[in-house]
Amino acid sequence: MGVIPVTLPNPKFEFTQARQRQLSTSVSLDSTTCRARIAAYNPSINAFVRTSPPPPPPPPHPSPLAHETLPLQLATRPVAVKDSICTRGMGAGCASEMLRDFDPPYDATVVTLLRAAGADIIGKTNCDEFGMGSMNIHSIHGPVINPFGSPAHRSSMARSTFPSAPSSSAPPLPPPPSPEARSAGGSSGGSAAAVAAGMCFAALGTDTGGSTRLPAAYCGVVGLKPSYGLLSRWGVVSFADSLDCVGVMAGCVEDTELVFDVLNVYDEKDPTAALPETREAARRACERRMEEMGWSEGRLDGLRIGIPQEYFPAEMTDAVLQPLRRTIAGLQAKGAVVVPVSMPATAYALSAYYVLASAEASSCLARFDGVEYGLHVRPPPGTDLATTSTAELYALSRSAGFGREVKKRILLGTYALSADAFDNYFLQAQRVRQLVKDDFDRVFGIPDYRQCTTGETGSEGVDVLVHPSAIQTAPRLDGEGGGGLETYVQDVLTVPASLAGLPALSVPVAGEGWPVGVSVVGQWGCESVVFAVGRAAERI
Amino acid sequence: MLRRLCQCRARQLQPFRRFHDARVYKEDPRWLGWQVVIGIETHAQIKSRRKLFSESLTSVPGETPNTHVSMFDAAFPGTLPKLNHKCVDLALRAAVALQSDIQTRSSFDRKHYFYSDLPSGYQITQQYAPIAIGGRLSVALPNSPPFEVRIKQIQLEQDTAKSTLNPRTRTSHIDLNRAGTGLMEIVSEPDLRSPDEAGAYVRALQAVLRAVGASDGNMEQGSLRCDVNVSINRVGQPPGTRCEIKNLNSVRFMIAAITHEITRQRAILESAPDPQNATVPQETRGFDEHRFETYKLRSKEDAPDYRYMPDPNLGVLVLSQERIRTVRDTLPELPWETRERLRSAYGLSERDVDVLLNIDSGRDVSFDGETQGPNASVIAYFDQLCAEEGDEGKRRRDPKAVSNWITHELLGQLAARKETFKDNHLSVDQLGELIDMVQNKTITGTSGKLLLRHMLANPSKTPTMQIATELQLTALEPCPDSTSSDTPVHSPALRALCADAIAALPAESDAARKGNRNVLNKIVGRVMKDSHGRADAKAVRALLEELLLPR
Repeated sequence: MGVIPVTLPNPKFEFTQARQRQLSTSVSLDSTTCRARIAAYNPSINAFVRTSPPPPPPPPHPSPLAHETLPLQLATRPVAVKDSICTRGMGAGCASEMLRDFDPPYDATVVTLLRAAGADIIGKTNCDEFGMGSMNIHSIHGPVINPFGSPAHRSSMARSTFPSAPSSSAPPLPPPPSPEARSAGGSSGGSAAAVAAGMCFAALGTDTGGSTRLPAAYCGVVGLKPSYGLLSRWGVVSFADSLDCVGVMAGCVEDTELVFDVLNVYDEKDPTAALPETREAARRACERRMEEMGWSEGRLDGLRIGIPQEYFPAEMTDAVLQPLRRTIAGLQAKGAVVVPVSMPATAYALSAYYVLASAEASSCLARFDGVEYGLHVRPPPGTDLATTSTAELYALSRSAGFGREVKKRILLGTYALSADAFDNYFLQAQRVRQLVKDDFDRVFGIPDYRQCTTGETGSEGVDVLVHPSAIQTAPRLDGEGGGGLETYVQDVLTVPASLAGLPALSVPVAGEGWPVGVSVVGQWGCESVVFAVGRAAERI
Repeated sequence: MLRRLCQCRARQLQPFRRFHDARVYKEDPRWLGWQVVIGIETHAQIKSRRKLFSESLTSVPGETPNTHVSMFDAAFPGTLPKLNHKCVDLALRAAVALQSDIQTRSSFDRKHYFYSDLPSGYQITQQYAPIAIGGRLSVALPNSPPFEVRIKQIQLEQDTAKSTLNPRTRTSHIDLNRAGTGLMEIVSEPDLRSPDEAGAYVRALQAVLRAVGASDGNMEQGSLRCDVNVSINRVGQPPGTRCEIKNLNSVRFMIAAITHEITRQRAILESAPDPQNATVPQETRGFDEHRFETYKLRSKEDAPDYRYMPDPNLGVLVLSQERIRTVRDTLPELPWETRERLRSAYGLSERDVDVLLNIDSGRDVSFDGETQGPNASVIAYFDQLCAEEGDEGKRRRDPKAVSNWITHELLGQLAARKETFKDNHLSVDQLGELIDMVQNKTITGTSGKLLLRHMLANPSKTPTMQIATELQLTALEPCPDSTSSDTPVHSPALRALCADAIAALPAESDAARKGNRNVLNKIVGRVMKDSHGRADAKAVRALLEELLLPR
């Protein structure tokens, strides 16, 4: 806290200032510092489930050609990767008993790209089992503790004062969370906490219905769920194929964008990857629109921001609303025009999401039967194998391998796909999904280039939507507000963008106490516009 | 896609049509008063080099287990499917051949069940929007007019792995070599009316798939399998309840299974207390290959719910009109087209056509529909041997002679060597030259056969004429223009042989000089023997007559 005037103990100010410092000092998040911080703080935060050995030190005398080549975008940057993304030799346990010992013999495409850009894959982060959950409490590694306000977090703001690394390696089990401990959010809670605690430069999460944006909001970091189809899903363990996205988290929008740019590459191994021409069409449309607005330094003149009226449910707390109002006012002050918009299908989005995500989960997780890999539970001695079906044998491994939440969703999804329920659940949810997409297409000025190739940019539409990332700040882990339907209601603000496959960026904004995130949502492929608005919002 | 899905669901829920009177009832003495209704689902492995959604090579039974497996085939987490368009093109060939309506937009669905032959827990198939809908195949039984079988749809799907139970160790062995190989499921309408018709349909389908290179259709190797739906009803009554017999892997078994099924269903219906209202319980049945009987696998109540779901990874398969046109324009000749062409363009007899087509029915089908050299197909070999000469526009060789050389001499000698046409290494040019040499009497027919035998035993690229010369098989009686003159000019070599024979048989020669024509045969025989078949007997006789007989 050294440079902050001591006359301002206001937690709001402290947070804002601290974050600003992080923006400017993130370069010091090098491999050595981050490993020391993980060793010191991970036992109390439980963000990492595995760390990699430090990379070999750079040669003392750089090769004569070194100065001729451009430095890699992420050279020596430590990047954490969610444990549901495959990393060769570092496991991909998905916080599940089923895959506890699974070590994939391949890197996910996004990990390959990170390595190629020079990143140091520092470790694998805790999460909800297979990405299912929004509090990061459904994990065989125990919950992730929100580091906000903890010694780890404070020292990430003032880097000189963290203790030196303990000599022993991290204990296998974290200490039980204190009663006041707050959730880091889920499912990519470990990734968000790792960034917030200064344990890495950036982290990869996944986002199926908000799993990157929600923990980013709770932990006070930036979290991006990119447009569906931009970042390769090859090597990312599927939860729901049509919704899963790789998410990027970092301390500020600029760093998030840097990592996103490294990963935003067409991968022919991913059949859902957007084709290069589609990406290019969307990119050019955004370029034209931004040129048309012709922003000068720090201004947003001409930008049309939509405020979706359905994104303010009764459960939303004041702690979230006030910072949002300030942010919107700040954006208006920079020249943006605020337009109220209506997204009538939003009310049904959450139900549709849970039907579709569960249905796909029941399908995607069918492969975990303990035969080719993963947990295998042998039938008890004396079992008559002649009268035991294969499915019954699989049930032994699956019952032991999956946790409660995963089982619940598999059962729900299995039901939604059964012959009697298919029309009323799965098909109905697909219809709602289309309505949600239609809502977005109606309000945005730029068309969705996945469907049209020659779309005209409308003058009436908005450029982005802005709304709170969550209905409240990080909830307590001791059960208060957790476990029941409320945990699903958290997702109400994040699932529409997932259903529509749109880019959504959660940016931490000035709040009273616990962090608050504001979401900026854009048309498909319009990451550049979303980042521009995000950069403006984080400076308010 | 959503709209298509809804439409498809609506179609599925429609009540059954009265399909069984699509064809005129024909009495069958085996089951008088009963009408048999049969529909067949055929699973044909696509003859592609690689699997439907992965890079691994396809395999044949007998290869080392689990050697053709990618991470995707083993359903490793994070792996994703990538559609092999070679498979799509081969399925399109089948669709064109069956006059099926190719869908410019089709999609893939997941069929879920837990079994050890299915690593991902679901099979990717085309339940809701198949690649081709409708179609027909003309089928003929011997000695009766052809009939038409309607095709309901053609869908692409993955083959499963193979699990085998070792009863001694009581362990299951799983071989993923086959897992993910491309299959075409070809569903017929219930247009078949007897076991024999069903057999003829499968054979006709097999021939079409092989001709277009879509599948090798080998039932013994398991690359063509059938599920057969059988129901029976009293003539004039609505169709009965069908039973499905799964996984029949030979035409013989299929005919036996259907025959047994008819008997079984008839027994149920005839022994019921109220025969008019009795129904057969709907079942899925297997076929016992030792007892030649069907047996119950599961009843309707136990039918699994496959929880079909559109595959979220594969999206819509969009086919351009141009691509469909290319497949149509480059479609290999269909069996009935080949038959017609051989008959009309070459004037071959029905018997010769049958022989040639039969040989080709056992040929290898190449991967990915690639074109093969002429030696891969006897028809192509025949075509090239008869090839027309460009400039003169006139056929180079007599089709009848070529057909005789192929069917009698070449195949006969191959058979003697315990070989088939597949083993023939004689190029079109080599055999063509041989036939020409015999036709223009450069060598005798006997020498030609001898030469053929020699060439089959000693593979080489040497031109036939050169081999014939080296072996001294060229005829002693070159005949160019010999017919134009009344007194043929005999070669010095033949003259020498005859002189030798006359010298060797002085008594016979004397007798001949005195006018004994009968003794001449002995001298001719001697010359023939000495010439090792190179001499033409007629020419020898003529020469000997000239030399010996009193004028």
